[in-house]
Amino acid sequence: MSDVDFSDPATIALLTSALEAAGVDGVEIEQPASGLRILLAKGSRPFVSGGSKPGGRAATMVIRAPMAGRFWVHHPSWPATARNYPRPVTRMDVLGFIRVGPILLPLRTAVSGRVEKCVAEHDAMVGFGDSLFEIEPHS
Amino acid sequence: MIEIVHTGPFNTVQDLGRPGYRNIGVTASGAMDSLALKIGNMIVGNDEGAAAVEIQTFPFRARFSGRVVFALTGADCGATLDGVELLPWCTYAAEMGQVLDLAQPRAATRAYLCAQGGVDVPSVMGSRSTSLRGGFGGNAGRSLAAGDVIGLGEIVDAAWPKDGLAVIDPGLALSEMFPPSSDGLLPIRALPAGEHELFGADAERFWEQTWKISAQSDRTGYRLSGDPIKPTAPVEMRSHGVVPGVIQVPPSGEPIVQMSDANTAGGYPKIAGVIEADLWRLGQARIGSRLQFVRTTHSEALAVEKAVAGYVEDVRNTSQMVKRALKAMA
Repeated sequence: MSDVDFSDPATIALLTSALEAAGVDGVEIEQPASGLRILLAKGSRPFVSGGSKPGGRAATMVIRAPMAGRFWVHHPSWPATARNYPRPVTRMDVLGFIRVGPILLPLRTAVSGRVEKCVAEHDAMVGFGDSLFEIEPHS
Repeated sequence: MIEIVHTGPFNTVQDLGRPGYRNIGVTASGAMDSLALKIGNMIVGNDEGAAAVEIQTFPFRARFSGRVVFALTGADCGATLDGVELLPWCTYAAEMGQVLDLAQPRAATRAYLCAQGGVDVPSVMGSRSTSLRGGFGGNAGRSLAAGDVIGLGEIVDAAWPKDGLAVIDPGLALSEMFPPSSDGLLPIRALPAGEHELFGADAERFWEQTWKISAQSDRTGYRLSGDPIKPTAPVEMRSHGVVPGVIQVPPSGEPIVQMSDANTAGGYPKIAGVIEADLWRLGQARIGSRLQFVRTTHSEALAVEKAVAGYVEDVRNTSQMVKRALKAMA
């Protein structure tokens, strides 16, 4: 049996339609390298999250997407905030955003350290758990 | 709580105002940029009409005396928290003792400090807005002063995402409806008002010329500077009701735009009225900046209003959806 590509929007749309038709609230599919969660709520748009689950090096902290959406490395109104990497980061810094419609979900780190690199493309559609930044925490 | 450490004059507590009392001479007051207030409240989890601090003179410094989730919306003031730069239209969690600094805005003119729970001052006639001219409402009816301590209300939405929320600001989200000003000239849409025809050829000069917002402008009204316009004959009028957005022409010939603390009545002839959906933009216009009135139609005014309402609803619904999703993923 061939693997189903759960990151394919057509597959997600098909599953969403099937859930709606069956009156099921949601589904969560876990695979060794990826996962998908679809939640349906009455009167709301479906919530879809998913993505691969790459592992990070032990000493490196990986900032992952907390939900599905468009990844933005800066606030669209303040593009000057985009920076090069590596660069220092503190707990208050906003590293980037997940954009869902007009809402931007800030991406922050729980520790201070240095952002080694940004591993996602600006404006890319990302899924839950996708790696976005690699951070070297201060010891 | 939030302690005011340093403030310029005329910074006040404002919400969406107290409409409905103009008939007894009570001005509505309320935020000059009501859109920034609503969106700021939404992203910190407040009711959209919760009271906030409207900051229009700088520098401004406040100290948090406990953990407070807050957002700064409206003008980008290059704000810092304990020296760390903050983004506007984005929530942050301040810890006890942290100091918030706001500098002169890079653009626009009024910032809103929206804190989770909303500013907790007594509600007077259904509003927490400060009426400076009436000397009531808000913080004891006066501007904020160093040493004031502002209490915050009960948090109505405890399901606040741990990393906060931000939003695409209305200037960008609604850029099709609100084209950016060209050459520093702000286009403000208006409809001809009751006495428009009395100005004859001068009525056209009202629309064609650019007006400068004079230094004699405040929350009550903007006095505009330019080539005076006069009615074709002297006009004697009885005082009549006025509302924010009404553009009156006093005998000097330089128009006055009534703003949030608008007079409740006046006798100057009205040449036009700014559409309600453009008032937030006018509320962010700086003294000394130039604007031009653009003659619009009722249908366009309604279309702009609908677009703004759609944006507000989208922020409301999507922020709730995101919060539900994050909770489900937790």
